[in-house]
Amino acid sequence: MNPDPKTMPDPSAMISVRNLSKLYKDFIALDRISFDVQRGEKIVVLGPSGSGKSTLIRCFNRIEPHDSGILSIDGQIINAQTDLTQLRATVGLVFQNYNLFPHLSVLDNCTLAPRLVKKTPRASAEEMAMRFLKQVNIAEQANKYPIQLSGGQQQRVAIARALCMQPEVMLFDEPTAALDPEAISGVVAIMNDLAQQGITTLCVTHEMGFARHIADRIIFMDKGRILEITPPAEFFTNPKTQRARDFLDQMISY
Amino acid sequence: MTHSMAQFMRRCSFRFRPRALAAALAGVLAIAGSAQAADPDLPGFIHDGTLTVCTNPTLPPMTFVNGTDVNAVDGIDMDIAHRLAEYWHVPMVVTTMDFTGLFPSLAAQRCSMVASGIIKLPDREKNFDAVSYQDTALVVVARAGTPPLSSMADLSGKTVAVQSGTSYSARLAKENEALVQAGRAPIIIQQYPTEDQVVQQVLIGRVFAFASQDVELYYRQEQLHGKVNVILVPPYPEYRHFALYIRKNAHDRELLEQAIATMGQNGQMAAIQKKWAISPDAAKALTRTPPAPMFRWDTFFSALTSTAFMRGAFITLAVAVLSHFTAIMISIPMALALNGRDSLLKMVLKGYVSVFRGAPTLLQLLFIWNALPQFLPIFREAWFTPFLATWLSLSINESAYQVEINRAALGAVDKGQELAGDALAMSRRQVYRHVIFPQALRIALPPTINEFISLLKTTSLASVISLQELLAVTQIQVARTFEFTEYYAAALVYYLGMVFFFLFLQKRVERRFAWADRHKATANES
Ligand SMILES: Nc1ncnc2c1ncn2[C@@H]1O[C@H](COP(=O)(O)OP(=O)(O)O)[C@@H](O)[C@H]1O
Ligand SMILES: [Mg+2]
Repeated sequence: MNPDPKTMPDPSAMISVRNLSKLYKDFIALDRISFDVQRGEKIVVLGPSGSGKSTLIRCFNRIEPHDSGILSIDGQIINAQTDLTQLRATVGLVFQNYNLFPHLSVLDNCTLAPRLVKKTPRASAEEMAMRFLKQVNIAEQANKYPIQLSGGQQQRVAIARALCMQPEVMLFDEPTAALDPEAISGVVAIMNDLAQQGITTLCVTHEMGFARHIADRIIFMDKGRILEITPPAEFFTNPKTQRARDFLDQMISY
Repeated sequence: MTHSMAQFMRRCSFRFRPRALAAALAGVLAIAGSAQAADPDLPGFIHDGTLTVCTNPTLPPMTFVNGTDVNAVDGIDMDIAHRLAEYWHVPMVVTTMDFTGLFPSLAAQRCSMVASGIIKLPDREKNFDAVSYQDTALVVVARAGTPPLSSMADLSGKTVAVQSGTSYSARLAKENEALVQAGRAPIIIQQYPTEDQVVQQVLIGRVFAFASQDVELYYRQEQLHGKVNVILVPPYPEYRHFALYIRKNAHDRELLEQAIATMGQNGQMAAIQKKWAISPDAAKALTRTPPAPMFRWDTFFSALTSTAFMRGAFITLAVAVLSHFTAIMISIPMALALNGRDSLLKMVLKGYVSVFRGAPTLLQLLFIWNALPQFLPIFREAWFTPFLATWLSLSINESAYQVEINRAALGAVDKGQELAGDALAMSRRQVYRHVIFPQALRIALPPTINEFISLLKTTSLASVISLQELLAVTQIQVARTFEFTEYYAAALVYYLGMVFFFLFLQKRVERRFAWADRHKATANES
């Protein structure tokens, strides 16, 4: 199931990485990571805090440039020469703390990037934004400022904002970690919904329901390395490594 | 043709002319008086065919603003300057400035001559040539009813006010040496930047006496409302003549002496003296006028509505707005560079900020106006007006403060905002323009308005480099009339009016930042 690190990246995969490494000074944040994500696949990334999950997914839209190894997105090798605008339009990212633009209304948050980057006329940008806001059940708040919304509502706006760029891959970095339990279900419902529609999804989350029932595969990381890539049924019933077992024990007791 | 070229030609023409002939010619001219159309020899200090006279118009009746138009300088010195210009058949331009700026400006070739009621003194003649035109005497003046003194030693232990930059303080210091040697208390000397403030100290009773020239007192008799009298005329051999000052040049001095002598012979000088009431009789009138009311409302209201004050306020506002706008424009890229990676540029910028925050603003103004032309002659040309100098100086100064505000504001914008902009494929420019700057603006606005209000008040320093801003206008009016309270009150109204306007503006603008506050955002929506 794991690709051979020595092979070339798979051009038909949505994301393909080989020996991907990332250093902060002399600290190894990502250590020779290799795997493929096929189109339409849903991946959940698990691992203890500080294991490099955020760093990994931020490499995919080059918000964190990797130091060595090969990264290919949608058949294109990503390096210093890559057109970042095109890459980032292809790869949407949702942050743990939403990072909505506080000075813009919900609607303007959603239309800013399409208008600036894709030069979409305002009318059609707004029309599309309203469609996605409806999809995340927040259309009636379109003219409010982020500060007027609850955390769950803000995260749903952040998802709609990312969708407005019509990405082919959606990356989620602990999208529910800052939310209270009632708000979590609303956001998870939307992620389920998106997964159903077939968009390639990579999600760092501790939402076990999502990991068990929606994910095609689980990636388990520790100390910058991938320890396991397995379907959820196998990961949750029969983890191969002691680290994964410990991690799961902690998750359950928590 | 350039000005140095013209000067060169003039020097040449002089060199080839025999001295004897020049002297003979001057003699003929003196006899002929002003009736002749023949041009007298032009002195070298007349640049570009113009007689530029520098003056600090706060010393009636020698030089002062005799009305509400601050550009119309009047007085004995101005009358003499006009006659001199006529004599040489050249136009005359008056440049007004702070007293302490007069000699540096003369040295920097910004003036042909200084005509500002300045006493002829050997100390000054070390560096400049002086030509006297009016006799005078030093007088010590105290409140009416003070008994006369018999000598300067009687001032021992008493406080005496003098105008700073004048030679009176040096003369009093000399008296003090003698007093201290005799084991007596010295005279306490207080220095004030303008003559009117000197007089005011005596009127309000803070100091015992002030030192002045008799001619001034004659002129002031009406304004002083019988509140002062002369208590001593010390028998000093110096302080006997008012003089015009020029840069050192024996030939120029001779030409100026001839011109003054001619005016004495043809009666022009006598006419001027008569016009300005210079006679011993004038002194007697000092105690006759009735005392003035406490606050003259008509003076206050006419100052408030005068074009002089409106113009002064406009200049204050204009130079403050332009300087702060320029400072903001300079300081934004500076703040970005200072928030960025370490580099040589960053070190240079840090130095810039330290220097311009460290040095007093007044010093920076004086440096740009008086010292800069010594290194860069282009700054001594006419285009470099006091307004431009103030604008330049305050822009640089203010940018050093504004950069800290900008830096803090940019730093206070959540780092996640930049990440979100990047993740949405926006370019660097777009992220700054549409995401970071609008949020930094909200954070920077209140301290920026505070800075602006303080800058608005700092502009008053520019009176030292002769900018006719609000406070300079006020002081000139006070010097003319001695109606301190009324003119100060009018200036206060203008300053407060401007400050309140900007505070009001700030409130209005802050409403646009309702997005930062949940309650306000909700209130705005309904
Ligand atoms: N900008 C950075 N500079 C230095 N170290 C970093 C930086 N970002 C992350 N790290 C380190 O890299 C490791 C992985 O971080 P991260 O990817 O955020 O972990 P996770 O998301 O799994 O909690 C952590 O030890 C963290 O301290
Ligand atoms: Mg993380």
